[in-house]
Amino acid sequence: MAHIAPEIFNGLILGAFYAVVAIGLSLIMNLTGTINMAHGSFMTLAGYLAFAMVSAGTNYWFALAVAPILTLIVGVALERTLIRPLYRRDPVYSLLLTFGLSLIAEETYRLVWGDNGVPFSPPASLQNAVSLGFTYFPAYRLFIAGVLLVIIVLLVVFLQRTRIGLRLRAAVQDNEMIAALGTNTQVLYMMNFGLGVLLAGIAGVLAAGLLGLNPQSGNALLMPAFVTVIVGGMGSIFGAVAGGLSIGLTISIVTLYIPAASEIAMYVLMAVILLVRPRGLFGEEGIFG
Amino acid sequence: MRMGNRAGVVTAAVVCVLLLFVPQIAPHIHLAISICTEVLLFAMAAMAVNLLVGYTGVLPFGNAAFFGLGAYGAGLTIEYWHVGFFSSIGLGILASLIGALLIGPFLLRRRGIYFALLMIAFGQVFYFIAYRFTDITGGEDGMNFARPAVEWLGWQLKDENFYYAMLAFFFIVGILFLLLVRSPFGRSLVAIKENETRARYLGLNTDRFIFVALLISAAIEGLAGACYGLSIMFAYPLMLDWHNSGNIVLMTILGGSGTVFGPFLGALIFVIGNDILSSAVPWWQIPLGALFVACVLGFPKGILGTVLDFFEKRRGGFGYEARDTLHSTVLSEREIQP
Repeated sequence: MAHIAPEIFNGLILGAFYAVVAIGLSLIMNLTGTINMAHGSFMTLAGYLAFAMVSAGTNYWFALAVAPILTLIVGVALERTLIRPLYRRDPVYSLLLTFGLSLIAEETYRLVWGDNGVPFSPPASLQNAVSLGFTYFPAYRLFIAGVLLVIIVLLVVFLQRTRIGLRLRAAVQDNEMIAALGTNTQVLYMMNFGLGVLLAGIAGVLAAGLLGLNPQSGNALLMPAFVTVIVGGMGSIFGAVAGGLSIGLTISIVTLYIPAASEIAMYVLMAVILLVRPRGLFGEEGIFG
Repeated sequence: MRMGNRAGVVTAAVVCVLLLFVPQIAPHIHLAISICTEVLLFAMAAMAVNLLVGYTGVLPFGNAAFFGLGAYGAGLTIEYWHVGFFSSIGLGILASLIGALLIGPFLLRRRGIYFALLMIAFGQVFYFIAYRFTDITGGEDGMNFARPAVEWLGWQLKDENFYYAMLAFFFIVGILFLLLVRSPFGRSLVAIKENETRARYLGLNTDRFIFVALLISAAIEGLAGACYGLSIMFAYPLMLDWHNSGNIVLMTILGGSGTVFGPFLGALIFVIGNDILSSAVPWWQIPLGALFVACVLGFPKGILGTVLDFFEKRRGGFGYEARDTLHSTVLSEREIQP
């Protein structure tokens, strides 16, 4: 038990990352039918921006707060100019466009920050280990777990208890009706995309300190996030959380015993869940919550 | 695409004749013959994608899995079972078909973006298998294998004639594709693309049609992949990766999805452009990405689709087949499955 407990905890943290990224993907996908292949690039961007700020001498906490917001601004600008004209068209176009954007982004990071990735470590105050009674655990991981938990709770409150959240959920069901009732759906789409990118940004900065930062580091989290969306069910936050945590756990436990099968285990889990529940764990009719 | 018009037939004939003389022409325009072979093979792969995206209306963003399975199928059987040239291609196609049989039933339950999402996810599993099982596949480094010699009734396939062998495959696939999309089966696929609910109420078992289209597409893609593996005598995990899927889908859309010759045009521009760019500048992914953006925003019907549109408008007829619906319809899960 003693040797498997940290692995379980690591798996849960990894799973929480998948969940937050998957919620962002799923928000964008449900409302606008866009599969955002550039989602990983937004994560990497936030990581690099935070790295640039910290190397320029700013405080880590400042970078953690500001880098996702800068990423959000980039994301919203792209949504306004390039992605918005594609909402009413076949999903192949937005898929190809965001894929092209991710290629441009990856090469740009390579030109600016080099091929090999950069060292980005959490602040000294988070680098010690904390005793959990039966084992020691790095403080940074506990911090990540706390932040991600807060984000997920805030998101649920936002979507369930605020008027904007209500409109977002309504627009997923019937965007024409919500527009006819007087909501500016274009602004709603923009905010929704921005929210997804903001989540990617926060996850990107946190992940940079844990999983490393290189031009492709965000894309490495993208594929598990897709699997999370499928396993959890499209449009369900609880599904994304349950899916993310179960995938994180599966990966970390399988890695412990059969390292070569770690990614494949995730697909086996996905296939089994789809056989039992074709819409994923909590997937209903595309409603949030 | 309507080939009833004379201009289309003449263009196709000229292109076919030109393709026959590529080994003579290519050196004069500083084009490696291996690149010309690559164009043919990716054109086949793009045709396979076109069958799904242009004629059936499902998005196979994950098709590189079938391409790579073809290459690995050929490579692994040559390496471990020492099979011959044609058997290795056949086994490559078989590997793709098995892949499609495994993931197909999962994909068929969904349409629209959910189908695309499932295909992205399931397509990537083969990448991880090739990447992780280093002992068998060589892992990240890929695997080298020798191209088996071809001897048939005293006739030998020399390396310099490899292009012609691929051209023969390309012509066969092209003709079969043309016959397929004009057959009742192909027409049914277009009906499914345009309105699946209506097609189902007319009595078509749409799941079965899409599954067969997926299998045909996987077989063509497997053939292209196996031949590509044989042409470079190498198989590597990135063949299976979603980046490769994205490239092949772009070739299809760039040339004109839902047209018979669009994918060839797309592959021609993409492969040669990519070759020139990647040897010219180290940051070639930026213009490549910009090509994706420009194609989607500027030429949503593809080059051939735009050209055909121009002629259709001049003649004032509606000779459309499949291509006109893609850019204007929104396919959503809710609309298709009430």
